[in-house]
Amino acid sequence: MALLESSAIDAPPAAGRQRGSGKGGTGRRAVGARRQDNITAYLMIAPMVILLGIFVMWPLAYSGYLSFFKINYYTGSKFVGLQFYHDVLTSDEFWHSLWIGFYYALLVVPIGIILALLLASFIKTLSKRVAAFMKVTVYLPAVVSTVIASVLFTFMYQDDGVVNWFLSLINLAPVAWLNDPQWALPAIAVPGIWLGFGITTLIVLAAMLDIPDSYYESAMLDGANFRQRLFRITIPLLRNVLLYLIVTGFALAVQMIDLPLIMTGGGPVDATTTPNYYIFSQFRSPDPYSRSYALTASLLLFVVLGLVSIAMFRLIRSDKAVDG
Amino acid sequence: MPKRRSTFALVASALFAASLALTACGSGGTAKTQGGKTVVTFWQQKFEDYQQAWFKKEVDAFNASQDKVKVDYQVIPADTWAQKLQAAQAAGNAPDVQTTNYGNIAAAVAGGEIADLDSLMPASAFADIKDNVKSFVTIGGKHYAYPMLVEPSTVLYYRKDLVQAAGLDPNSPPKTWADLLTWAGKLTSGKVKGMTIASVGPDLGWSSWGLQYNACGHLPVADDWSKSVATDPCYAQLLNFYKSLYQSGDMPKTPKVGYADGSPYGNGEVAMMAGGSWVVGQLKASFPAMIAKTAVAPFPSIDGDPTKTTATLGGWTLTVDAKSKAKQQAAQFVNWLLAGDPAIMADFFKASGFSKYTVRSSVDQALASNPDATSDPFMKIISSQVVPYGKAEPAYPWDIALAFGTAIEAAMKGNLSVDAALKKADGQINDVIKKQSLAGTQPTH
Amino acid sequence: MTRKANPVPTRILRKSASGILVVLISLSILFPLAWMAIAGFKGRTEVLRSPFQFFPDMWRWSNYTSIAKDHEFLRAMIVTFVGALIFTALSLAVNSMAAYAFARLEFRGKRFWWVYCILPMFIPMMAILITSFVVVSKLGMLNTLAVLIIPGVASAIQMFFLRQYYLNFPVAVEEAALIDGASRWQIFARVFLPQSAAPFVVVGLGSYLAYWNAYVWPILVVTDPKLTQIMQFLGNFRSDRGNDWGMLMAGSTLAAIPTIILLLIFQRFIVNGVRISGMK
Repeated sequence: MALLESSAIDAPPAAGRQRGSGKGGTGRRAVGARRQDNITAYLMIAPMVILLGIFVMWPLAYSGYLSFFKINYYTGSKFVGLQFYHDVLTSDEFWHSLWIGFYYALLVVPIGIILALLLASFIKTLSKRVAAFMKVTVYLPAVVSTVIASVLFTFMYQDDGVVNWFLSLINLAPVAWLNDPQWALPAIAVPGIWLGFGITTLIVLAAMLDIPDSYYESAMLDGANFRQRLFRITIPLLRNVLLYLIVTGFALAVQMIDLPLIMTGGGPVDATTTPNYYIFSQFRSPDPYSRSYALTASLLLFVVLGLVSIAMFRLIRSDKAVDG
Repeated sequence: MPKRRSTFALVASALFAASLALTACGSGGTAKTQGGKTVVTFWQQKFEDYQQAWFKKEVDAFNASQDKVKVDYQVIPADTWAQKLQAAQAAGNAPDVQTTNYGNIAAAVAGGEIADLDSLMPASAFADIKDNVKSFVTIGGKHYAYPMLVEPSTVLYYRKDLVQAAGLDPNSPPKTWADLLTWAGKLTSGKVKGMTIASVGPDLGWSSWGLQYNACGHLPVADDWSKSVATDPCYAQLLNFYKSLYQSGDMPKTPKVGYADGSPYGNGEVAMMAGGSWVVGQLKASFPAMIAKTAVAPFPSIDGDPTKTTATLGGWTLTVDAKSKAKQQAAQFVNWLLAGDPAIMADFFKASGFSKYTVRSSVDQALASNPDATSDPFMKIISSQVVPYGKAEPAYPWDIALAFGTAIEAAMKGNLSVDAALKKADGQINDVIKKQSLAGTQPTH
Repeated sequence: MTRKANPVPTRILRKSASGILVVLISLSILFPLAWMAIAGFKGRTEVLRSPFQFFPDMWRWSNYTSIAKDHEFLRAMIVTFVGALIFTALSLAVNSMAAYAFARLEFRGKRFWWVYCILPMFIPMMAILITSFVVVSKLGMLNTLAVLIIPGVASAIQMFFLRQYYLNFPVAVEEAALIDGASRWQIFARVFLPQSAAPFVVVGLGSYLAYWNAYVWPILVVTDPKLTQIMQFLGNFRSDRGNDWGMLMAGSTLAAIPTIILLLIFQRFIVNGVRISGMK
């Protein structure tokens, strides 16, 4: 096991050994072993691939097919080619909702991750029992559904609710949080962050706990301060996890619908009309046009999300194994 | 050793198989017949509790009264109604009977989704429908739905005691919009606001239809749906009215609940409210103490003319699905429930606290001899002063209504000037008309 | 000598600062939840009242007791709980295998399958809601427990997370094991799985909550009252025309209890590195 200890302690972090060294190792194994990897791998991804195929990919393909029609289950669907794509892409409201979705994600994701990093660092310093208490506390908001959280915060944002009550304590005038076009989106970002940062904190904490203390110790011996330790050790080693948090945080944030649905009805004046909210309100109309329109809009949203995420993956490239 | 691998795989596939076996748990698909009876699926959109109770009672009674048809009654929450219905339509198992809003009938007929009832129900059933409601369920001369009730969308509720305390006369409620603004100002004191009305785009979209008629005599779309007329100067007055009310500070700036919910008034936070007739039912059920202190009146008219429309008559019907495999039996149920013994519907209106209004002459007669009905103060005023002047809800796509509602909102909250807001709505409405090729597709009755 | 006198006060200072921070953070996080639990004691219309009031005029237990005694509530809780457990177990199994394969194995078409497995994360629900309903309807799965569980088991998000976590495992251990002749399966089962306690708790909780809080899909696919899920049940207290706030808050609080208990039990697995260098 000497092999282990040396690689764990001496190897400098961040610069990390790339997958190349791993491949060097497998060079010793014959091509036959590589083929064996194929079968093993396929077996391992098979359940996922099959389940996704039946319940996600096939419906997606079917939806894609339907988006070229004006859907009607009674008189038969009419082929219209790219008409709905054209209608959606030329719709100001659609682009506006995309902007709102991105703006919301920009508010929720970075703040959430920063808070999580801070909190996780803090929890690391706590004693076992207090840490246990904090771990549970931080995660508790996620236990209530988004719907209930929306209701709770709607009450808190009332003209005479808790938030304005706090403002009155420091002599500021009450704000119509949910009815002011300027404040509505930041206002609903708060429950958005509140709901998600528990799991983010726990994820960051779990990843942080995997960083051997020895790294920090040797860094401190070399005279590194907190900031240097954070940026040179913690963040690079958390790169994989951070990529995950950023990409999924973004994907989920843009798809937020419950908060604006219950708290603001997409208002005021479309200030909180997120993409899914826009699609949903189209979907609710009973006429065939709106249904097909909503379907096409949701497929276009998918394309947008996919493209942006590809860009993020490229930017935070971290699909390489990192030695501990 | 392959032991570990196979153990793991074994466990995984065992779990998998177990859950597939759970496919056996539950009742499986829907049967069209059950014990020799034809099954008719009936979906009711969730309304007030008393409605669910009434429907359940009547469905049970219908099922017990004969042995050919069994109605399978399901309640669907309003927020998932559209998704559940569309999903069922896509999968080919839409319900045989469903509650349908008047406003959706035209679109459903255009899409071929609901059956023509003339061949399924006796003509006498349709003859019984009151004149003002007949056109609501008729398209192209045929009946596609049987109406159940109407509920005016806008009525003025006010607190007699607070009005008196402010030095105003509770027996002479505001008649013009200007009067209302004055009252709202006088009734705002301390924590109590004088008035509340819709202030969010989606709510304004439908709750302002009545006032749109009031201001201009028509809706912001040409009669043949060929273009928008949102920039008609009379609409500027409408937007200015909403704007004055909001900016004056006499109404709550952040609504706690939607327009349809009368809780703030029930809790005493506002002295007056604009609400649908259903609020009477909510007050009676949840805020009984308010009933004695409350009076109703038609919503003020722009120039005080009481014969001008101030409310649209929303309401619900039952329709039969065009692809239903049990159309005859479905219609039999609808006929028994809505067009049959007037006592059944009279019972419904009683359960609603007379917050909904009849659509059949025979039910009117049944209620005329009901002392609770004749003595209800709200019912008298609403049925004689509001319902007769009510107009139908528009049948054009919701996008148009929402565009106009958002324009009102933008003006109220000062985002856009009144003219700019109307201009924007005008553009949006024309865009909808163009994209959906609406010109000339307005329903004919 | 002065050196010795200082460390004690500093330590106390640090501890109390830490303590204050804990209290402040906990209060701000828990405030809305506390409000929810207490609102359960309020009357139907009291919850909504202005001005904002934290404690009820009169503590009424009726909301809590009437829900706790309601058979349908209990059944919904049990059915949802059982479903959530099965769902979580399956989800962990399926997603962890795929995560390991993507993190550690090289195989033909890996890129393609990776994209395939990650893509669902970006698909808005509305895009496939109707079509996936048609699929499960044609498969005859409606009104079963399976339709609530199976479609969601393969989760791009959970698999992605596990894969990132597995990427952080040191390659060295595996190389040693491979040299010793172990198969990939064995490595997965003996090296990765035992070390996965922390991420499994995270993913497990995530899956559990996703199942527990699901609202739209259960309404679409289940009409049998015996299979009513807890969110459907609570949804009964909400309506356009006046919610029953007291009951809704009480119900939500009660519904949160099993989850909180699970959280209390499993949080201990998110602990200091049992891993890497601790390998025997």
